[in-house]
Order: sequence, then C-alpha cells, then structure tokens
Amino acid sequence: MNPIARVFDHRVRGFRVIEVAALACLVLLVFWVYLSKARAGDERSRIAKVEAEISAEQRKVRLLTAEAAHLEQPGRIGALAEAYTGLAPVSAKREADPDALPEIARKAPAPAPAPAPKPVEPAAEETAAAPAGEEAQ
Amino acid sequence: MKPSDLRVQPPSFRWLAERVWSVEHAFERIKAQGRAEEDTRVRIFFVLAAFSFAFAILAFGAARAALFNGDGRAYGGAAAVASRADIVDRNGRLMAANLVHYALYIDPEEVWEPAATQRALLQALPGLSAERLRRAIEGERRTFVMGGLTPQDRARVHALALPGLSFEEEDRRVYPLGRTAAHLVGFTDSGGRGLAGVERALDEQIRDGGKAGKPVALSVDLRVQGALEDELRRAALNLNADAAVGIVTNVRTGEILALSSFPDFDPNAPGDSPAGGRLNRAASSVYEMGSTFKVFTIAAGLDSGTATVNSTFDATAPMKLGGRTVHDFHGANRVLTIEDIFIHSSNIGTSRLALAMGQQGMVRYFQQLGLLQAAEVELLESARPLVPRRWDENTLASASFGHAISVSPLALTAAMGAVLNGGEYVPLTLRKLDPNERPTGRRVLSEATSRAMLDLMRLNVVRGTGSKANAAGLRVGGKTGSAEKVIGGRYDRSRLVSSFAAVFPTDGPIDGDRYFVLILLDEPKGSPESMGQRTGGWTAAPAAGRVIDRIAPFLGVRRAADPYQTATGDKPPVVEEIIPGDETVAAEGGQ
Repeated sequence: MNPIARVFDHRVRGFRVIEVAALACLVLLVFWVYLSKARAGDERSRIAKVEAEISAEQRKVRLLTAEAAHLEQPGRIGALAEAYTGLAPVSAKREADPDALPEIARKAPAPAPAPAPKPVEPAAEETAAAPAGEEAQ
Repeated sequence: MKPSDLRVQPPSFRWLAERVWSVEHAFERIKAQGRAEEDTRVRIFFVLAAFSFAFAILAFGAARAALFNGDGRAYGGAAAVASRADIVDRNGRLMAANLVHYALYIDPEEVWEPAATQRALLQALPGLSAERLRRAIEGERRTFVMGGLTPQDRARVHALALPGLSFEEEDRRVYPLGRTAAHLVGFTDSGGRGLAGVERALDEQIRDGGKAGKPVALSVDLRVQGALEDELRRAALNLNADAAVGIVTNVRTGEILALSSFPDFDPNAPGDSPAGGRLNRAASSVYEMGSTFKVFTIAAGLDSGTATVNSTFDATAPMKLGGRTVHDFHGANRVLTIEDIFIHSSNIGTSRLALAMGQQGMVRYFQQLGLLQAAEVELLESARPLVPRRWDENTLASASFGHAISVSPLALTAAMGAVLNGGEYVPLTLRKLDPNERPTGRRVLSEATSRAMLDLMRLNVVRGTGSKANAAGLRVGGKTGSAEKVIGGRYDRSRLVSSFAAVFPTDGPIDGDRYFVLILLDEPKGSPESMGQRTGGWTAAPAAGRVIDRIAPFLGVRRAADPYQTATGDKPPVVEEIIPGDETVAAEGGQ
C-alpha cells in the first residue's frame, strides 16, 4: 500500500484519522470566523456610534453657526453698540496714516511737563529690576 | 488492453490514472457487463461532484463577504446630506442654511389624559393651533400636528414626559440674518424649491452645492449690506418715503456688494409679510429716474463727438417742443457749457444735446447701455423697462433727462457701471468672482469719455446739486435725480422719485476698483433734516454720503486729498486753478 493511501485509510477505533482531523479543522475555522465576525460587529457598532456622535456634533455646530450669524446681524450689532457702548464710525478728522503722525505731533500742543519724580522706593526698584521676560509670563 | 499498461509509471500515479480511467470507462463497462448497480454509483458520484462544486463556490462567496466587506457606512449614522447648500457672503459669513427641525406627531391611542396633554402642549408650544391639536388628539390615528420645531422646542415637549407624542426630523431652510439682505437672498417653499432672489436664481447651483456639501458664495459683503440697510431705512423713515432702494456695486467687476429694498420682510416667514414687503424694488420695479439719466445723455454726446466738455447750448429760455415746454428746475437762463448743464442739471441743455445727437444716435447708446432691456443679472425678478413706442423729438428730449422711459434700479446701476469703469458694459452678478478675474464686457464708451464723466460727477458733488454726498476725503462723484411720478397719466409735481447715483473714488486708474452707490427714495415727504425739501440732492444725496463714509473702510478705499478737498474734508489750503481731468494733483486712487 502506498503512503498516501495509508494516510487516507488509517483508522482509529473505526474512525478515519483524516476525517477526524478535517472535522477538527472545520470546527476551528467556524469558531475563528465566528470570533472574527463578533469582533468586527463590535468594531462596527463602535464606528456607528462615533459616526452618529460626529453627525450630532455637526448638527450642533451648524445650529450654533446659524445662531452666531443671527446674533451677529449687522443691524443688531450696530444698535447694541450704539445703545450700550456709544461706539460710532470714526470721523474723518480722527483718522490718520502712520506717515502723518509726525505732522500731527508737530501741530499738537506741547504736552504738560511731567510731575517731578518721587524718590524711588526699594520695592519699586525691585520691580523695575525684574527681567523683561518675566512680564510676558 | 488498457492504455495504462503501455508504459511504466510510479505507483501513486498509476493509482490516480487507474481511477480516472475507471471513471472514463464506467459507462462502457456498465453497458458491456449489464450491471445496473454500477450505473447508480456513477450517477451518485456525479451528483456529489456537482453539489461539492456548488458548495465550494458558496463557501468562497461567504468567506469573501465575511472577510472583505469593508463598507461600514450602512451601519453608521452618516451625516445627513442637506438638500440645499449654505449661502454665504463674500467673506464666508452665513446667510442661509438648512437645519434639522422636528415635526410633532400625536398618536391618540397612546394619549392618557387628552385634556392635560392639550393644556401642557399649548403652553410649551405657543405657536401651536389649538383646533389642530384638538382634532389630532380626538382623531383615530397618528397625526402630524406641527412642523419646524427647533431642538429647544423639542426639549420643552420632551420635558413634559407625555405619552403618545413623537418627533420626526425634517430639513428646513433657515435665514439666520432675518431681514438683512432678505430681498437678495430670497426664500424657498417648504419643499426646498427656490421661489425668489438668489434662492431662485441660483437654484440648481445651490442644490448641487448641497449634494457636494459646498457653500455658495455671493458677491455680497455683509458689512456693506448692513451699513446700506441701516442708512436706507433711516432715510426712508425720516423722510416718510413710501419705499426705498439702495445698491452698491463694484463697477469694474459688476459684483453687487449690497442690495436693499425697503420695506422689507422676514424670509423665515415670507407669508406673514404684506406683498409690498416681499417686492424687490431694486430688480422688479421700474421708475422714471429723472436727472440721473443725464449721465447717459452727456456721456453719449461726448462719446459720439456731438459735443465736448466745453461745447455750449442755449438754455436762456424754456424750450418748446410740439405742445409742451421743457423747463429747468434750477433755471440758469443763460448759455451753458456741458459742464454747466451737468452741474445745474439743465433739462433744456440736455434736451438740446439729445436732439443734436439725433434719435438713432441716442437710442443706440441707450441700447448699448442695456437701458432698453431687463438688467443682465442672475435675478429672475429683473424687470423689463417701459420704453416709448415711438422715438420722436418729444420722447427723445424727455428720455434725455430721464422721463418717458422707466427702468429698474438694477438696469440703471449696470448702465452707470459702463459709464464709470472705463466704458465697458459688464453684466451685474451676484456670484463672488475670483479677485484676479476681470470679467469681459462689451465696449460702449471710450476711456476718455468715462474719465470725463468721472470728473463731471466729482465736480457736481463739489460744486453742484450733489454736495451733500461729499464724504470727507473719499473723492465722491455723483448725480442727483428727482423725477415727478406719473399719476393718472399726468406728472404729479407733489410726488417725486428722488435718487442719487454716486461713485467713489473718482480718481485713480480708470480700470481700477471703483464703487457705485445708488440711493432711491419713492415719494419722500421732506423733513426738518432736509429743510422740507424732497429732491434727490436733499434726501438721497446725504444718505449716499453717509453710506460711502461707512463702507469705504470695508472696501479698502482710504481717505486722501484731491484738488477739491483735503483728506479730512476741508478745503485745500492753497487755492489752485482746478482743471478737470488733471490727475497730477490727485492723490492715491482706490484699491
């Protein structure tokens, strides 16, 4: 008997070994497919949940954008600025180019003399001595 | 003798070959031996093989579907695609959007306490019709009760914790800016179909944009729109005008930067406004414009060579034409140059110029300036003008100063653009153009004519009827118009359509960005501010000046001196001889 035929014909307690092995493989495969599908299902539901959340957030963003646009209506902002802050368009006389500043300074009345400096206290000296970078922090 | 006997083969192949040949010869053997059971076994073998093959294909398909089914979208709550795109202004600020709203349904079978449910719902939703609610609760099946509920409304109803109430999502068009630019944006029906304004004009583009999730950008600048609306409303209310129109355009590109019509309406509830409020007077109403038309007559006269700026026309006495007499409102009673005619707004002078040009010449210019057809713009509301059936001397003279021909404010705006942008008629547009794009227009006037008209309009603001529009340092030019309205077939002196057509800056390169502002007031009544006057110079011109003063910073036009005015609006310190058209003294141009 050749070796291949022996493998196919070999029996243990009446069962062909090859058939038992194939069955075991099949069961393993089915189990593996089941596990994979179950895991993929979990992933899918997570993705679906996240996508639903994104969708809800997008809706909220759209709603808020529309609300912001509603609140920023030019007419409304203008009326509020007038009523509460007294803001108004700058008059032409108060507009100036950076280049024109020296000319404006020349025409402007000389500033009042600064008050005489007070004697410097030690605390103030310390503040002044602090490194410039500290202020930015 | 079997073929396998012919050559020596290794044992395993011999075994396989024997099996194959035995199948091959099975039918022959069976036939030869007459053994029925052998026939059955072979049949079983074939059926088995066929089934195995089919199952193998099924298994392959199942494995493929299980392992490579990558499209998870079917499971996900993907973002809902809006049926219409957002509409935004040229700077991306939202003007219209589709938002998810909720529709309330009631299932009467699940409602426990009808009376309490009715009371609670009416309290939570004040806009709900009590009759409709009663019918739904007393009905027999699930019924729609109210649509367009906001998430807040839904939350209020949810908080009642009443059984039998349910919601369904619905996509609804919302205009967050309310009345701002309402006529321009327009509105849709409940099915999401554009009915007016941009919503109707660009319906297809807005739908396509909705599918692609891309907003549709308009040429409008909301800051300019806000300033225009504010000043227009103020002027209309102050002067007790029946209606008013305001337009701001870039004459180089034809882009409409702002468009306002008063009275207005709320596009979120267009049905609640009277029909007069929904009418876009800038596009769909036609007016006899009066003296603003002199811009076209004089431009045509200069361009055709009929006259030069220094040509003179006799305006010493009223002009008789057939059965009627043409008078001057500001009668100068002398011989006038073209410049004088423009600055004094002489009807007699303009009529004489038009007659000198002849009917064919004038009508051809009106035609080329688009005044004899509906304004070229996306808006479908754009109205056709009312033009004389027959062009004789009488109608020609009348049309030369803006009578006998009624055009829409948009048509006037487009024609003014051609006069002021170097002489090319560029159709108006509501689409935002690329900043570097220069739309091609058709040439109507020469650049020299356009420059001469800019200078004349500037002079008219400095010395003539438009002085109240002289915004400091913005080199404003303009022309007033005060047309008597036709009531019952006769001109009624007590009812005027007063307007001001302004342009700024008048200096700078001829093909540079330049802005046109039209303010039109329908039947202003006069106020203490206008000294009781109702004409364009006293009513529309100040409003135009204020609009220009407010919008210039948004448009990047800086205040600068010109021969007539310093940047702060004062007179120039040294009085020099002023030569119109001399640009050597002119300061920096517009941007």
